[in-house]
Amino acid sequence: MSSDTHFIEFSKPFIDAAKNVFETMVFTKLDTQKPSIKNDTVSRGDISAVLGLSGDIDKNGSKCVYKAMLVISFPYETYFKVASAMLGEAYTSYVPDIHDLGGEIVNMIMGNAKRDLKTMGYTSNMAIPSMVEGKCHSIKYPLGTHVVLIPFESIHGALFMEICYSEAE
Amino acid sequence: MALKADIKILVVDDMSTMRKIIKNMLSQIGFTNISEADDGATAWPMIESAIKEGRPYEFIVSDWNMPQLSGLDLLKNVRATPGLEKLPFLMITAEAEQGNVVIAVKAGVSNFIVKPFSAQVLKEKIDRIFK
Repeated sequence: MSSDTHFIEFSKPFIDAAKNVFETMVFTKLDTQKPSIKNDTVSRGDISAVLGLSGDIDKNGSKCVYKAMLVISFPYETYFKVASAMLGEAYTSYVPDIHDLGGEIVNMIMGNAKRDLKTMGYTSNMAIPSMVEGKCHSIKYPLGTHVVLIPFESIHGALFMEICYSEAE
Repeated sequence: MALKADIKILVVDDMSTMRKIIKNMLSQIGFTNISEADDGATAWPMIESAIKEGRPYEFIVSDWNMPQLSGLDLLKNVRATPGLEKLPFLMITAEAEQGNVVIAVKAGVSNFIVKPFSAQVLKEKIDRIFK
């Protein structure tokens, strides 16, 4: 299989995991919108949770290494509504109480996706999540990776998943 | 609920939002005496102090991945302490890998829960621990 084919199969566990996390912890369904290739570094949301990962792929005895990154970006309004739903209090600004919420969400998504990735032949080592906040902030992607943008709609508003991925022999 | 509402519970997680979520769920279930710690390294002296004061914690709910002292190492400390060999200890992790369950069971965990989880699932796990 080619790297592009791997990218498509690599992305699916993250979409499934995000749906599971949002249904269980945020009490909302995510509707997946049309994915696209992203060619710039500007976030589509105002608050982004970023988690790097790396590992090996073992496909029919052929091994290579990959590096990847998972980003979930929220417009401010979506983030506040998601935080309010998860924590049971009304939030209307980016206060310290909810700074690490996005990091916890990407942690849970990655943790869930990791199990499915393992059955597909991927090992995965997670980094520690980080948060970026501000209108039109930039995301620093690992060099040489391609980025797919997957928008979601929910009752709390839009949010955006980005997955970047590359592999080397 | 069959359990006493005021059993002394310690919630350990390095993410403040997750501590709040777990505390909210425990309150929903009916528990009223809940303390929190932001790392295993913070939790351990609290557990030791509570023993010295004669009011030990009766239930620990701990995250696995924490920067200073992991949930697994906290569990090992607890199980190595005389009197705490059977202290109910619920481990929470984001990683749904079978290998983690085996490691935690070998270390003496009372039960295991994978994020994401609902208050109902948390209640079922607690019921199984205290049945």
